[in-house]
Amino acid sequence: MAAFDRQDGAAVARLYGAAGDASSDIDEACFLWTHAFVFALEAGLAEAEIYRAKLVAEGRER
Amino acid sequence: MTHSDLSDLSGVTAPVATARGLPNAHYVDPQVFAEEREALLFGNWAGVGFAKDIPNEGDAAPIDFLGVPLLAIRDGAGDVRVYQNTCRHRGMILVEEPGNIRGTIRCPYHSWCYGLDGTLRSTPHVGGPGRNLHEDIKRDDLGLVEFPSYVYRDVIFVNVSRKAPPFEEYAAKLLERWREHDRPIYPGGGRSDFVLEVKTNWKLAVENFCESYHLPWIHPGLNTYSRLEDHYHIEEPGAFSGQGTYVYRQLEGDGGEKFPDFEGLSDFWDAGAEYVSFFPNVLFGAQRDHAYAMILMPTGIDQTRELTGIYYAFDPAEQPEKAAMIDRNADLWKGVFEEDIFVVEGMQRGRYGPGFDGGKFSPVMDNPTHLFHAWAADQIQKYRDAR
Repeated sequence: MAAFDRQDGAAVARLYGAAGDASSDIDEACFLWTHAFVFALEAGLAEAEIYRAKLVAEGRER
Repeated sequence: MTHSDLSDLSGVTAPVATARGLPNAHYVDPQVFAEEREALLFGNWAGVGFAKDIPNEGDAAPIDFLGVPLLAIRDGAGDVRVYQNTCRHRGMILVEEPGNIRGTIRCPYHSWCYGLDGTLRSTPHVGGPGRNLHEDIKRDDLGLVEFPSYVYRDVIFVNVSRKAPPFEEYAAKLLERWREHDRPIYPGGGRSDFVLEVKTNWKLAVENFCESYHLPWIHPGLNTYSRLEDHYHIEEPGAFSGQGTYVYRQLEGDGGEKFPDFEGLSDFWDAGAEYVSFFPNVLFGAQRDHAYAMILMPTGIDQTRELTGIYYAFDPAEQPEKAAMIDRNADLWKGVFEEDIFVVEGMQRGRYGPGFDGGKFSPVMDNPTHLFHAWAADQIQKYRDAR
């Protein structure tokens, strides 16, 4: 929540991304990668493409 | 009540010698104000902001244009684009404050994301948690709603109705008249950008700007070097009106220095200057060494926000020694515009008097004002006829 509070989108994206990577449930992982993707997109981070690719691989994004 | 019952425009389009001005309703009646919003401001190319205020890629400025939420953005190609500031999902306002959008425009409600080019890039959980696709969510059809826009002399023009001809056609006569001035312009910055809040209907500011008749009375300082007879009318029916002078005098610094000229101007501009009300709501000044633009942003029937920017032929950031002179010039112009405030506010209050009949024009001096009234009346009548 500290990352949210200081509106640090990049940190938020990485936290969600790491949580998604750590999840053993693919639906939960895709939920978390979605948030990582959105916040990375908003922050203009190149790693948005990494999260997008994870979602595309699961048929959840294009 | 039909729209034609709102006001009688039959006397407005008559020749100036016999015409009456726009009836009071066009300044004090909320129904007519709403009608003019559509007919004059949304139906044509209106100025809504300055490109200088969004200089870098991703810079975004929300604009409330008479209730229509706009979003002006500098896209990845460096072009200014104007979108409706509304998410295609639930109609949420997308951007509340001016700022820089680094990556994507994210709706603060459900996080639908749009690129600077308006494309819908992500629809999180739209098909259920963690499922961002759905066969009925066709992203290609759900990009941001974009309005036709065009930047001329740094003013961002928008045609909300989408029914006006292309800007180059709409503004062809002004573009041609000032072709020589089609040069890069650089904002003065700092005090060269200023805003005046005026208690008047926006049209009265248009009308006051386009005529020289008032100059000796309202701007007596001009009399010291610029007499009334040194001015001429600018009249382009259906497009713009204004006034010019043959005795423009450049500002001089303490050491006699002057601002550099725009390149390639003809001899006329050595002492010539022109001031044009470009219909509906933008006022332009063109001179040999600087230019300005004022956007009249209506914020109510009797409230107008005057947004002004002053521009030069050189980049002030590269010539900091001219900063004091730039500020002095800005203060001079701001002072002139402030001198006009009591006039446009007084004319507004005068129109709450039911006995005022639109007024009687001078057949010699009020031609540019009458030209604007005739343009407005024609636009409004066409709007009424179409309904």
